[in-house]
Amino acid sequence: MRPDRLPEKLSVGGRVFGALGVLTAVEWFAARWPGALLWLTLIALGKTALIAEYFMHYSQLVRPEE
Amino acid sequence: MHPAEAAGRLSAHELQNARLGLWLFIVSEAALFSAFIAARYLNLGTSRPEELNQLLGLGITGVLLLSSLTAYRAETCIAHGDRPGFLRNVLWTVLLAGVFLVGVVVEWGEGFHYFPPSTRYGTSFFSLTGLHGLHVLSGAVLLLGIYLHGRRGRYGPGEYWPVEGVVKYWHFVDVAWVFIYPTLYLVG
Repeated sequence: MRPDRLPEKLSVGGRVFGALGVLTAVEWFAARWPGALLWLTLIALGKTALIAEYFMHYSQLVRPEE
Repeated sequence: MHPAEAAGRLSAHELQNARLGLWLFIVSEAALFSAFIAARYLNLGTSRPEELNQLLGLGITGVLLLSSLTAYRAETCIAHGDRPGFLRNVLWTVLLAGVFLVGVVVEWGEGFHYFPPSTRYGTSFFSLTGLHGLHVLSGAVLLLGIYLHGRRGRYGPGEYWPVEGVVKYWHFVDVAWVFIYPTLYLVG
């Protein structure tokens, strides 16, 4: 891996963390909405997708070169 | 012994097998947590006690999410040959794990008073947070292990599978909490 790409990769992590923070804030309010269980489930699935793709690199399983 | 293995480096095929094995383990762990979460809804529906400390729940959620960022940074740093960055971020992750566990202990103290384990909600609350807390503790021990190895000069670009494995496990611990938090604190 090229060392000069380190800042770029680290900034991806920061953006994902920001998105997770926003989703957690939305979750807090969604708990008071009608049909809250559905909204909370969708938000949790969205957060899981972000973590699995960007932090756990799920796609390495099918594209090992990543 | 394969030359790559002798150098502490996995071949591409071995790395793929290791990754697949870890993902299968994670899926089996997810099934365990799913059973505990399903039990909460079967036993209680969507009801929950008013006495839950919502601010503390939100706070430890934020701490765990932040620890996922530092774990990601640790793995990214070692993949790019930045050992000081790796060591610094692993230590931050362990520290955040400790803060999370202290938060759970505080919440347990309140829980024993308002909804002890003998109550229906208490059964779900203490079993889910206890199971998850054990995973946090084991993850923190593993993180300390890679920190100590890293300090001795192990790992580097292209040879950091142990770091990748531990960090993936740590992210799974975070994902488990992503579902536990709304299940215990928000639904109802």
